[in-house]
Formats: sequence, C-alpha cells, structure tokens
Amino acid sequence: MRKPIIVLGLGNPLMADEGIGTKLIEKLNSACGSDARADFIDAGTGGMTVLTYIAGREKAIIIDCALMGTEPGTIKRFTPEDVQTVKKLSHLSLHDSDIIKVIELSKQLGECPKEVVFFGIEPQTIEQKMELTELIESKLEEYVSMILKEVQNP
Amino acid sequence: MSENINIKVKHLTRVEGHGNIVVNIKDGTVEKCQWQVPEAPRFFEAMVRGRDYDDIQTIVSRICGICSISHSLVATKAVEDALSIKVSEQTDDLRLLMHFSEQLQSHVLHVGYLVAPDLFSAPSVVPLVAAAPDAVLAIIKAHRVANEWSEILAGRITHPITIIPGGFSQIPTEAQLRQLQDNLKNLVDTLLAIVDVVLSVAGNLPAFERDTEYVSLAQKNNYAFYHGDIQSTDGKTMPVKNWEKVANEYVVEQSTAKWTKWNRQSYATGALARFNNNAEQISPLGKAVAEKFGLVKGCCNPYMNSVAQLAEAAHVTEKAIELIDKLLTKGLKTEKVKINPKPGRGHAAVEAPRGILFHSYEFDKDLKCTWGNMCIPTNQNHANMQLDFEKLVPEFMHLGEDGLRQTMEMLIRSYDPCISCSTHFLNVEFVR
Repeated sequence: MRKPIIVLGLGNPLMADEGIGTKLIEKLNSACGSDARADFIDAGTGGMTVLTYIAGREKAIIIDCALMGTEPGTIKRFTPEDVQTVKKLSHLSLHDSDIIKVIELSKQLGECPKEVVFFGIEPQTIEQKMELTELIESKLEEYVSMILKEVQNP
Repeated sequence: MSENINIKVKHLTRVEGHGNIVVNIKDGTVEKCQWQVPEAPRFFEAMVRGRDYDDIQTIVSRICGICSISHSLVATKAVEDALSIKVSEQTDDLRLLMHFSEQLQSHVLHVGYLVAPDLFSAPSVVPLVAAAPDAVLAIIKAHRVANEWSEILAGRITHPITIIPGGFSQIPTEAQLRQLQDNLKNLVDTLLAIVDVVLSVAGNLPAFERDTEYVSLAQKNNYAFYHGDIQSTDGKTMPVKNWEKVANEYVVEQSTAKWTKWNRQSYATGALARFNNNAEQISPLGKAVAEKFGLVKGCCNPYMNSVAQLAEAAHVTEKAIELIDKLLTKGLKTEKVKINPKPGRGHAAVEAPRGILFHSYEFDKDLKCTWGNMCIPTNQNHANMQLDFEKLVPEFMHLGEDGLRQTMEMLIRSYDPCISCSTHFLNVEFVR
C-alpha cells in the first residue's frame, strides 16, 4: 500500500557529494524507516522513475545534490515554483534528465502530489569517488533533522 | 550548388560531456564531420578493486540509472563465473524475468520520450502531452507497468538489492507473479496502441542505409538477451570469455570514450543488432510488430533500431507471460544460497537494452577483487556512429543546416546512447 508521503533520495554514491541524496535516505531509513505515513526510497539516478514513485501521493520530498550558487554544504528547502532550471540537457540520451521537468510532466498528467518540496544540497565536489567530502559528511545530522521536521510536521 | 554549413552541437556539463556533433561544409564539400564524446574517463574498474566479491553488483549497479539491472546481472554472472558458483534453474529464470523488465522500461522510455518527440516534431515529451495525449498516456502506462515489474523482482525500480552471488536474497511471492502476469496480459493492447501511433509517423524516420556489421548475443533456440555466444552478422562467433577479442578497444583523438572494432572498421550493437542475429527466434507478437514496419532481418537503417526496440518490447512482454507460467507451474521454492567460492577470473555478457555489455573480474584467495574490466554498449557504437555520419552528411546536406543537424541528432538518439548517465544533479536559479 502506498504511503501518502514519499521521500526520494537522488544521486550517485560513486560520485562523491553527488550521492548525498542516497546517503540521506540510508540515514532516514535508520532513523524512522517504519514511519506509517512515509516511504523513504533511494531512487539513485533513475531519472524518469521519479514520475512513477510520486504519482498519486499527497506529498513528495526530493533530496538531491544541487548547484544553487551557494556555499558548499548549504542545504536549501524550496518548491518547484521557487526555481527555474538552468540545466542544459543534450536530448541525445535517455540518461540525462532534469527532475524539475519531470515534476512539470507529472503536473501535466494530473497526478503530481499537492505538495512537492526539494532539499537541495550544494556539493563541494562531484568526482569519481565513493565517499562524501568531510564537509558534507559533517553536516549529515543537520540535514537529517531538517528533513525529518518536514516529514513529521507538515 | 555551393553551400556552407557549420554545425556545432556542444553539450558540456561540469562533470561529463554528452557528445558533440561537429560539421563543416564549405562550397558543398565536407571538410569536417565528427561525433565527439568528451566524456570524463570513468574509474569504475578501479573502484571495484579491493572490494569483496559480494559487493561488486551493488557498486556497479550505480554506473547507470537506466541499465542498472543489466550491470547488476552481468557483474553477478561474471563473479559467479570467476568463483565457480552455479545457480539453480529457478534463479536463472527469475533473473531473466528481471532482465526482461529492464528491456521494457528502457525501450518504452526511449521510444516514447526521446524518439516520439522527433517523429511528432515536438521539442520534448512535455509539449507532446497536449499534442498527443493518448500516446503519452499509453507510454507512461507501459513504463509504469515495467517499473513495477522491476520492483517486484529487484526490490526497487533501479539499482537492484535482491541479487546476490549464487541466487537471490529475496524472491517474489507467487501472488505477486500472478498479479504481474495479469498486468502484462493487460499491457498487450497498450503496447499495440503505442506501435500504431509510432507507425502513423514512421514515414518521418530518415531513409538511410549503410552496410554494417551487427554484434549481439545469439542462441539457437532463444532470442538472446541473457545467455549465448557473441555473434556477428558477418558470420563469426566468439565465446563470451573472449569478449576482449571482439571489442578490441582502442583510443582515438576525437573521443575520450574508447572505440571498438571486430571484423570491420566498426560494428553496431543494440536492438537492431539483436534482431539481425536472432530474428527467427522473436516471439509471434514481436514478429507481428516488426512486420507492421517492414523490419526484416538484414536491415541496415540505424533509425530502425527504435522499431526493433518496439518489437522487443512486445517480445519480452509475451515471453515474460510464458516464463511466469513456467515458474508458477513448477512452484516457487525458497532456496538457501549455499556456495563454495574458489578464487579465479571470470567473464560474462548480457544484452543491456542498448546493446551487448561485458564485465570481467578476478578475485584472490580472500575473495577480494584484484582486477575488473567492463565494456559498455554505447562505447561499442561510437565508431559506427562516426562512419554513419560520414555517409549521411553528403547524402542529407541538401536539407540545409537545421535539417541536417536534426537528422544527425536523430541518428545519435536512434542508438539510444548511454552518455552522461552517472550524475543527475539539479542545476537551478532561484526566481523568488
């Protein structure tokens, strides 16, 4: 049975801070994986699968590494309406995707959750490496508590 | 007629390039025509070194978000080959069923989200929702059924968590398989509706042919996705353990991705290659779809790869229904994985949706990985894309700059390439 809230962690744990979304899902699952109202899913770099995961939910919380022009380690809560994407897609491959556009498609299909909240985390580095940078690692608890507040006190 | 054309399609992101198209034509003479892949070298082979044998699939499943099941399966097969681990027939069948789900996921996504907008002259799938709502809804339904199918077998839609060397950590219930089978039976009409929509605009697929060597897995009695030897349409076969003699990877100046060649200057891999090597074994529904488009064995129009994907989408759906019958008739058993791994080197191949995928690993006496080698299908297609461009540009330059660029971009898309797939970060500006 689908729970009303979905928390999706996006990213690649093989690419240093790009994997912050999946790392936080691991932490959130340990902290409150049995929450009756929320599913915590590591969606990796599945791209369009986000459309399936969020369909018909009341609320979607999406955690992703984000280039926001802020200091590395900064976490920002925002909604799709707060931002415009400046990501350049090649449209040559299925393999690059833009979650902002996926949300737009979900809205057009009439199945988007009423509330979509992003937590963007500014990376220090994106490179082929299986560990987060120390800076991001040191802030994990801060990120977890901020996201949990969003989950538990809507 | 003298004509000057300058095309420079460049897509560079901070981390990885997406592939560039560069064409210079002066007074009707092609001076430069290149498919460049400025992709950052990947270090995944180095990442597996020193890791335990049962960590490998978890790591490599992250190489690609679209082909994660294929990477997990081929890695597990290679690990099992290296460590002399045998799996049960049930495990083999369940893995094949999982593998089929990824073919459907990826093929409908590719045809629906990347190829259909071209054929309908729409910039992307988003505006297509208004222009062709029924088609988009059908594609989304098929993608969703495939997503749920993967989730039942792999534990989640991407990056499987149920596959372990020697078997599964968790298998679906019989009730889940019955439900899945019902969903697949109900999907057939939807797939045929998608086929008819694509057929209605198939006239927009460019009429371009180039005699090409096609390479895929092949088996006598199966349309090969998961087992078999390596087969070339030039008549040669090679056991999977010798895949490096097929790929013959080499470095070129215009690309940081390695290129490959076997019996000619280049070869193609993917759905059309599989069809050209296995057409006799495709399921009745797959055959019917191919026939609607006039796709026959020996086709060497690369744009028809998308049509071959549609035929395969029908094939895997039909074959999965049969496979579930087999599994349910025999009854699912909870099998405890008992293995006695021995150190060694192993090799494996599976057909990822976009073509043949090779992995090899070696393990020491502590069962730690000491060496890994992978070759992804898109790298095997780069040299072929370049040779297609060299024939295509003179033939299509009469279309002018925009028309030629569009035709070249469509060609790259038709190969369904996996470029820039390992990162998906957001890049945003705040507007309020």
